Amino acid sequence: MLSDSQIEAQQELFSKNPIDGQVLKILVEAALTWLRTNQELVNSLNVFPVPDGDTGTNMVLTMQAAYDEISNSPEQNFGIMAHGVANGALMGARGNSGVILSQLWRGIARAVDEDKYLDASSLARALAYGRDTAYKGVVRPVEGTILTVAKDSAAAAEEALGETDNVVEMLARIVVAADESVQRTPDLLPVLKDAGVVDSGGMGLFYIFDGMLRHINGLPLDTSLATVQPLAVMSLDNAMEAIEPGQDFEVVVDFRPDNSLDLNNFYGKLEDIGTSIQVGEGDGFYRMHIHVPTEKLYDPIEYTRTLGVVTKVAIENLIAQMEDAGEDGSDAELPLVPVEAGQIAVVTVAPGNGIARVFASLGVAAIVSGGQTMNPSTQEIIQSFENLPTNQVIILPNNKNIYMAAKSAAELTVKQVAVIPSRTVPQGLSAMLRMVPDGDFDNIVEEMNEALDDVETGEITYATRDVEIDGVECNEGQYIALSNGKLVLSASTLEEACQGLLENVSADEYELITLFSGSDVSGQDVIRITDSIRAAYPEQEIEVQEGGQPHYHFIIAIE
Amino acid sequence: MNIALVTDSTADLPPEVVERYRIQVVPNIIIIDGKSFEEGPGITRREFYKRMPTFQTYPTTSTASVGTYQNIYEGLLQQGAEQVLSIHVSGRLSGIFNAASTAAEAFGERVKVVDSGQITLGMGFQVLSAAEAIARGADLETALKIIDGVQRRVLVIAMLDTLEYVALSGRVSWARARIGNLLRIKPFIKVKDGDVMRWGDVRTRRKGIERLKEMVRDLGDLERFAVLHSNAKTDAQRILQELDIKIPTTPLVVNVTTVIGLHVSPNGLGFAAVTI
Repeated sequence: MLSDSQIEAQQELFSKNPIDGQVLKILVEAALTWLRTNQELVNSLNVFPVPDGDTGTNMVLTMQAAYDEISNSPEQNFGIMAHGVANGALMGARGNSGVILSQLWRGIARAVDEDKYLDASSLARALAYGRDTAYKGVVRPVEGTILTVAKDSAAAAEEALGETDNVVEMLARIVVAADESVQRTPDLLPVLKDAGVVDSGGMGLFYIFDGMLRHINGLPLDTSLATVQPLAVMSLDNAMEAIEPGQDFEVVVDFRPDNSLDLNNFYGKLEDIGTSIQVGEGDGFYRMHIHVPTEKLYDPIEYTRTLGVVTKVAIENLIAQMEDAGEDGSDAELPLVPVEAGQIAVVTVAPGNGIARVFASLGVAAIVSGGQTMNPSTQEIIQSFENLPTNQVIILPNNKNIYMAAKSAAELTVKQVAVIPSRTVPQGLSAMLRMVPDGDFDNIVEEMNEALDDVETGEITYATRDVEIDGVECNEGQYIALSNGKLVLSASTLEEACQGLLENVSADEYELITLFSGSDVSGQDVIRITDSIRAAYPEQEIEVQEGGQPHYHFIIAIE
Repeated sequence: MNIALVTDSTADLPPEVVERYRIQVVPNIIIIDGKSFEEGPGITRREFYKRMPTFQTYPTTSTASVGTYQNIYEGLLQQGAEQVLSIHVSGRLSGIFNAASTAAEAFGERVKVVDSGQITLGMGFQVLSAAEAIARGADLETALKIIDGVQRRVLVIAMLDTLEYVALSGRVSWARARIGNLLRIKPFIKVKDGDVMRWGDVRTRRKGIERLKEMVRDLGDLERFAVLHSNAKTDAQRILQELDIKIPTTPLVVNVTTVIGLHVSPNGLGFAAVTI
């Protein structure tokens, strides 16, 4: 903790000195740090009690990409630096909230153009531009979301402009307005009220503003005020760095030294324990990163405990991670159909290996892994098709939370890209069936859009907390069934959930029921449930595929 | 000018049309378990589909020989035809056009062989248009222009029950690649400019029938129309009824000939249409 005089000094620093590119860098880092500290809290604000696209994670990854873009930049010009932030945010944008956040930054960057410094009037203008750009980026803006919080923040800035020309003062008002706006979101969006939560994206935006202000005010950014969370997601890139033989674990320790730290001594001691040592200095705390062999797993923690208070510890098994990555990222093994110049290529997002295989067999040119819990970034989507030898690309996001990232990807490339708004895997497959590589691009896009309605989607998952939505009551841990994204029932057994769903959509009026089994379901359960469905629907064809998707026991296509 | 018309059995022309215009239809040959049958006279469609499940080996097809075509051309010319117009299935799908062209060489200008770039009624409508024109007194040049015009406006689209047979036929390169497909699908094919192309897929027959009907409606005004099927008459008739097509000619419902049926599988449905 800083002393009062230190805090004053810091506030003074930000109030009196012009806010240039380097100050922006510090503020972005502060925003990122504070958002990350509260990431789990933001994640927990899910309307649906399902393991949904994690807003907090998506926003952190977006901010991380924004910060990475500028972290080494010596740029002094505020405007140019803001453009760097916007660019990084855009490329790293994940999930809808991430994309909207990136649009906010884009608007801000445009507003300040190449302004050398940020002042109160340019801050107000920047937020107004940011708000406008964010609203424009959404086809049907919904109030009670991050958009509303952006709007209210911009309004607060404009209002403050008549009364102060102090940027810090204005930021303080923005933070208050954002907080109040977040609290109001349930009044604007009934689903939030029903679920008893505030909007997660709006909350994330609040933490971004608040993180900047806290830093200026010398408040700590590493301890969430709400709950103590496990250390934020480690950047996978860091974890994936070359692993020395024998260095099986990555250990990251955050600690607050009792006395000032003798860095040389500290490094020397760490070198005896492991390799890949990195030490980052924060606000009166340090973050230490090290790779260690299994038998020394706890040594770094024991050692740092002798120096002060350990606030957070994260341990990752590097070998296991490498193996996982090898399994997941193995698109190369899938029999992807080569695309020729002039043909149409389809890129799809697949939440499981089995689903990826089915898409591959239908002739997709590239697969981006991702789904409910891990939304791929705009950049990942772009990378998937950038090197394809054709200019005509169709993207199937297969998830409402990935749609916007796919849209951004479409805007950020010189290629002709269409995004089909497929919200579920069955919809994506239905659209994919209409693909004709040599067909007319516009016709195929139209056909694919039409095909979305050819199939009903059922999803069986479990409730992550007690909730009542759309008149359906469910308790944490219960199975729940979603029909075309809408919660329709809860059940205590998997079989009940499946049968209830099929009854709900009147499956007896359809021809074909295709079940994609998730990674959490045993082969025996799949057989048992398939048999029971066959018995209940003798007139329908039943097809079973191993989907391999996490969290969702079954994804069901009814057509 | 006396012009004789020749085509082959893949034109799927109804018998009354063949008779009225005295069109010489050269049967193709289907080989079932080592035995050769001439399409039509040798084995009827009904018999073929009935026996299909009992075939020991996958039947193969063959064309009439160069000699057969030569004999036919010679016979027609001897019987008083001044010229012969011989219209055949797409050269990319079959060797018939080659056989006929080779046979025609001996007769110089007197025999003209045309690649219809089509199959079934996609070709049949070209032959029919030419026959009607010749009956009205058109010369060869005019008849060729008419064929060319129809060829450009004709379209054949079909929904197959399975991809398996097309893949086995070895006539369509993409079909083999697509047979590794993990989902059960009903592929659509389109015949245009001599090639069979993929035209998207559906997963259920009901959706497929809807899609076929929508495609027909999207074509707008039509000159000629036929619902095609491979042993699925009831569905074919229902499609025609539901489409309620208003055209100057009578719409047809045609069970495609066995050599095509063999390559597309039973239970296929489709249409041939000539736009205005």
